[in-house]
Amino acid sequence: MILETKNLTKLFGIRKAVDELNLEIPDGSVYGFLGPNGSGKSTTIRMMTGLISPDEGEVFINGKSVQKMGNKALTSVGALIERADFHKHLSGETNLKMLARMDGTDMSRVQTVLDRTGLGTRGKDKVKTYSQGMKQRLGIAQALLSNPRLLILDEPTNGLDPQGMKEVRDLVRELASEGITIFISSHLLDEVQKICSHVAMISQGKLKTAGTIEDLLKESDLLMTEIHVEPIVSAIKLLSNQDWIHRCEEKNSILSVGVHHDKISDLVQLLVQNDFEVSAVIPRTSLEDVFLSKVGAESQI
Amino acid sequence: MLGLIHNELLVIAGRWRSYIGFIGISILMPLILWGFSVGGEELHQDYARELGGTFIVVGSILNSFLATYIIMNTLWIHIPFLVTLAAGDSVAADGANGIFRITLTRSVSRFKILVSKLFASYIYTALLLIFCAFWSLGIGSIVLGTGDLIVIDNGILILDESQAWFRMAFSFLLAILVMCMVATLCFMFSTMVNNAVGPIIGTMFLIIIGYMIMGIPLEVFEKIEPYVFVKYFNVWWDAFKDPIPWGEIGKKLGVLGIYSVVCFGIATYVFINKDIKS
Repeated sequence: MILETKNLTKLFGIRKAVDELNLEIPDGSVYGFLGPNGSGKSTTIRMMTGLISPDEGEVFINGKSVQKMGNKALTSVGALIERADFHKHLSGETNLKMLARMDGTDMSRVQTVLDRTGLGTRGKDKVKTYSQGMKQRLGIAQALLSNPRLLILDEPTNGLDPQGMKEVRDLVRELASEGITIFISSHLLDEVQKICSHVAMISQGKLKTAGTIEDLLKESDLLMTEIHVEPIVSAIKLLSNQDWIHRCEEKNSILSVGVHHDKISDLVQLLVQNDFEVSAVIPRTSLEDVFLSKVGAESQI
Repeated sequence: MLGLIHNELLVIAGRWRSYIGFIGISILMPLILWGFSVGGEELHQDYARELGGTFIVVGSILNSFLATYIIMNTLWIHIPFLVTLAAGDSVAADGANGIFRITLTRSVSRFKILVSKLFASYIYTALLLIFCAFWSLGIGSIVLGTGDLIVIDNGILILDESQAWFRMAFSFLLAILVMCMVATLCFMFSTMVNNAVGPIIGTMFLIIIGYMIMGIPLEVFEKIEPYVFVKYFNVWWDAFKDPIPWGEIGKKLGVLGIYSVVCFGIATYVFINKDIKS
């Protein structure tokens, strides 16, 4: 494991922001970290990067304890924590050169990472002239500066327009294909599903579930099933009255139903018995469904 | 470490606030020098009156050395304030601006970062005082000329020009060390908060309180006085005594040094254990 947390706990006053969190991030994975607002994602990431000290537990990076070894444990780590903030009165290039000087990183890396994040021609401009998206890309550039083996990204697409989000997503994929392990927290479940191989979900500081996305989707209690059925409006009326059906909605003339996996045959049987014409039943469980079943529908992500 | 100090100096150089002190000195000094050159006769007469019974004064005693000697009174309040402008920003601004989320997640220890910030503050402090000396002694020599320095303080001391240059340089060196203590105090406050105004106010408040304790002739305050750091600020005047009281200077610098070490110790403890939440 390239990154591990063991019984990680952080209290703010009497409130447990993170509660005995155990995570194992395999080398080479793209690991999504999901949770509602205030669930302890950022606190966890700050503990991983040594910004916050845990009250209990430890973070290990390549087997080295961040808490015991301090920043020496972060040698192979690049991190972008929330918003990317820099010295606004200095240029992007100067900011990166300062960071390279801190790490002892070769100065030639500065232009390389600027080019890689699409800021090659704007490096000499002051950061205060950058858009939010450009600042965020500069944030990713600084995380890549020291050629990290592990990239920790906290909400990297925050404040980006759809094009910017796609660019970050593509960049993450590209980096992952080069063997860099990426630990990424995001609000965007769909996005996480698109780029991540693994995922962990937390709520109120506690780990709810973790594993490969494939396994989580398979093991999910609540399956979203698409049913091609006619007449659809009457079918919705019928199914909405069943207390074992959790969700029932129409999407593009296709019925989308949330049921436990052991109830799917009952669902089909019910429709057929009531003379509905069922032409197809397709399991379509998404990460969002898994999230809702594990963390709760009341949570806002 | 040199790379880190280089970084900090770049940050200080890039902030407009860092230039307030230099701009202030650039405005104030020509004004003071002009005031001396225009109203110098009055000052000359005051000094001549003091010396009248003992000496016959030939020529003018007003020169850049005497002007500098008088200007150095700004070291009590004004220069400390200018020093705090950079030192107060040093740690607090990085916290407030979210820079620590970037810098403290790198493989450099917090202690090294802190030391580099302190050294950069010291360099800024030294530059500010050297700039002050450049104006009062350098430009002052052109405007007012040079000559003997006459110091009236528990007696009359006349220093010839070569001695005056040495004493002035020594006095400015001592002033730099005193101001470094002020910078360390402000730096300590800077590690505790996330805005630059708090450290500046905190430092100036302590300095003013110190002067008040020293200025009020109460027995209780006299007992506290040895522990008030501003009591030792006047070490730069010792450069103008004859003979130079090396023992006294050493003692005063020692006390200020202990204060600096304690302030930096507290700053280190606070900064290393600080949770970066902003």
